[in-house]
Amino acid sequence: MFSWQTQPLTGLNFIGMVIGAVVVLAILLLVVMYLIFFLRKVVAWMQNRIGPNRVGPWGLFQSMADVLKLLLKEDIVPAKADRALFLVAPIIAFVPAFTVLAVIPYTAGHIFTAGLNIGVLFYIALSSITILGIVLGGWASNNKYSLVGGLRSAAQMISYEIPLGMSVLGVVMLAGSLNLTTIVQQQATDRFGWYIIPQIIGFVVFMIAAVAELNQTPFDLPEAESELVAGYFTEYTGFRFAFYMLTEFVYLFAISALATTLFLGGWLGPWLPSWLWFAIKTSAVIFFMFWLRATMPRLRVDKLMGFAWKVLIPVALFNILLTGLLSLLV
Amino acid sequence: METLHSEEMILNIGPQHPSTHGVFRLVVTIDGEQIVAADPVVGYLHRGTEKLAESLQYTQIIPYTDRLDYVAAMLNNYALVHTVEYAMDLEIPERAEYLRVIVMELNRVASHLLFVGAYLLDLGAMSPFLYVFQEREMIVQLFNEICGARLTYNYMRVGGVKWDAPPGWLAKVRDFLPHMREKLKMYDALISGNEIFLSRVRGMGVITQEEAVAYSLSGINLRSTGLRFDLRKKRPYGIYDKFAFDVVVGQNGDCFDRYWCHFLEMEQSLNIVEQALESIPDGPVLGKVPKLIRIPAGEYYTSIEGARGELGVYIVSDGKDKPYRMKLRRPSFVNLQILSKLLIGQNMANMIAILGAVDIVLGEVDA
Amino acid sequence: MFGILKGLGVTFGQLTKKKVTLQYPEVKPVWPERFRGIHEFIPELCIVCNQCARICPTSCISLSGSRDANKKMRIDTYDINFEICILCDLCVEVCPTEAIRMTDQFELAAYSREEFYKDMHWLYDNHKEHGTYHALQEAKEQAAKEQAAKEQAAKEAGAKEQAGREPVAASEAATGGET
Ligand code: SF4
Ligand code: SF4
Repeated sequence: MFSWQTQPLTGLNFIGMVIGAVVVLAILLLVVMYLIFFLRKVVAWMQNRIGPNRVGPWGLFQSMADVLKLLLKEDIVPAKADRALFLVAPIIAFVPAFTVLAVIPYTAGHIFTAGLNIGVLFYIALSSITILGIVLGGWASNNKYSLVGGLRSAAQMISYEIPLGMSVLGVVMLAGSLNLTTIVQQQATDRFGWYIIPQIIGFVVFMIAAVAELNQTPFDLPEAESELVAGYFTEYTGFRFAFYMLTEFVYLFAISALATTLFLGGWLGPWLPSWLWFAIKTSAVIFFMFWLRATMPRLRVDKLMGFAWKVLIPVALFNILLTGLLSLLV
Repeated sequence: METLHSEEMILNIGPQHPSTHGVFRLVVTIDGEQIVAADPVVGYLHRGTEKLAESLQYTQIIPYTDRLDYVAAMLNNYALVHTVEYAMDLEIPERAEYLRVIVMELNRVASHLLFVGAYLLDLGAMSPFLYVFQEREMIVQLFNEICGARLTYNYMRVGGVKWDAPPGWLAKVRDFLPHMREKLKMYDALISGNEIFLSRVRGMGVITQEEAVAYSLSGINLRSTGLRFDLRKKRPYGIYDKFAFDVVVGQNGDCFDRYWCHFLEMEQSLNIVEQALESIPDGPVLGKVPKLIRIPAGEYYTSIEGARGELGVYIVSDGKDKPYRMKLRRPSFVNLQILSKLLIGQNMANMIAILGAVDIVLGEVDA
Repeated sequence: MFGILKGLGVTFGQLTKKKVTLQYPEVKPVWPERFRGIHEFIPELCIVCNQCARICPTSCISLSGSRDANKKMRIDTYDINFEICILCDLCVEVCPTEAIRMTDQFELAAYSREEFYKDMHWLYDNHKEHGTYHALQEAKEQAAKEQAAKEQAAKEAGAKEQAGREPVAASEAATGGET
């Protein structure tokens, strides 16, 4: 198996790494752009609408036009905002979003994968940095809606980080590794097949916590339009706003990719090339999230916290216990 | 050392805010996410309809009533012409009365549909809003065919209605009814059982019967508390005594009951339309009305069951062709009173759920 | 949980349903006959009785006329201010000669306020452009009739309804012809 760590750091290898990173970035930017398009189309179809259809054939260039528009917009910093923080917050939110993508094993070839031994931990640790960016953005805007939105996000994302981490633990126990690549390889030979079967409870917890982490409906309280206008990024315009949007969609992709890797066997699958399997599974997870988005009303903020602490965490704990017993007995 | 203290925050919600349903401003004082005080500020859409009416002939006032509760304009039209007819003691042709009932009940359905959609949108679900607009569109299209407008109908006249139904219109309405019933089932499946929705509306913003009466609430806000009060039954006007229908009441007076009453009331309205379609007679649609409409001097008040409650028109006439003074009892305005009381002690997120369920239309609040 | 699943089923079921969006600028909505759009005005028919201006609740019609050689009243100016016209149809209702009518034209957006003051000529042009509505309607009816005739050739049934609508179309053609 190919892995970057086992190679000596020669000049050639270094260039290879850089090229790999750039390729991943470029592909992902494209993927994210089309994610937005996909979201708008799916939700539109579920609502008996057509969705974007004016820019380019079938509206395919709609997202590009949107991004362009955002880039061309004036970058407004409110007069009463905390200027330095206001400017830096979107970047703090955005950088980890792209960084976590380094550990996701997209294909069986691993040319684009960092193959870290602590991949799971790396993902969870880095993704929590984004919360900082969001809270800072909400605080620095000096707007009441932003502040409430930012605080809500902080509370929500920190609470849901815990069940998210715990639900992953079951998988880690079964696979005996924190390395995402190893986890996928284990699933190929595991007697239960993909981990969604022995870890079904963990999977459900993971999905719920993931949706909450993403601030997606029904957990989209931080940006609850009907209450908080746009939440923490109410005051943002132009490409800083685009950064927040991008962060959200990159995480949407990243967490779906993580779910695919952990529970759905990653790139595994017969006949088709491995990257295609990965793409299909990830798209299915993403579709599910969009589907939720088209159906659900929003949870209430106090219920939300209650749900995390009183339901999800005990269930996740129980799952860990069950997994432990299972691996002892079977 | 200074002692640590927390501050209350004053939050201005509106007049431009996505979920205040128009230009409505609510000044809330919040302590964290808890509301300590709420103060509604109205008047941003005030057009002075009552004052304008003093310089208008009665026929000319009708299009102005369209702009009160703009999602149920047929009912507003009727409220006005009904008072004028009552004052003049006019005889209304049967067919006109039936047509009125049909369009009014259809309009009630359209209005309630919009409530359901907009309420769910407030709670964060987008799809129901777009679904209900499809059925609303059908009703609006029916209105477009009968009176040429989709929102501001100006369809009723003193003594009857402006136009008879175009050929085939009644059949179209008849076809619409089963479709609508089918769709109501779909909405029921989509919304009413959703646990997230239920957790947000059950036991939320409870109004007791005594409070409801004390605050002079009417319409669904009153009926959701369990009081069986519907002007169509209590003081039947027009030909409502000819139809069999139930008055829908709730039990707990919470937001869910208000939502649910809207739902059930739509079914009742469809029943009324069905009965009206069965027995609609032929004949003229405009009775014998003098060319210049004059009301004998005196004071007149009648009220009808509007989409949002008791919709009353009070006219003081000095015998001229224009009212000396006109007062509209707009249910949204009266129902809004209870909002400040309902909101105190609630969570910010509940504010939207409660405000949405009180179901105000700003055109009507501000007149 | 069950309720959520039911809701998910409903939204999923909509995926393949027919879409309702109208591709607006390309596809125009089909308005019913009584649709109350922007007025058309036919100067020859107007007898300057001033009834429309008097009934207008927003007083947005201003008109003036004079007597011509045959002692007949002729309209000189006729303006409607569409900033305040509420398209209530009352003016059409009272006009004894149907000189003022409503068309299916509904696109009023403009870049300046002045453009909302429509004079007699504009309204007459509107009549020529959109007042053809009735003629269009007739053409549509005609097409439908032909379609029905074609169908009748294949099947005897189905044409009856179409025939029932004929008189309406004919009377419209008559009013359209007057102008
Ligand atoms: S439609 Fe109504 S408002 Fe407009 S000109 Fe005619 S009477 Fe006046
Ligand atoms: S009512 Fe008709 S005929 Fe009389 S002035 Fe107006 S447009 Fe002319």
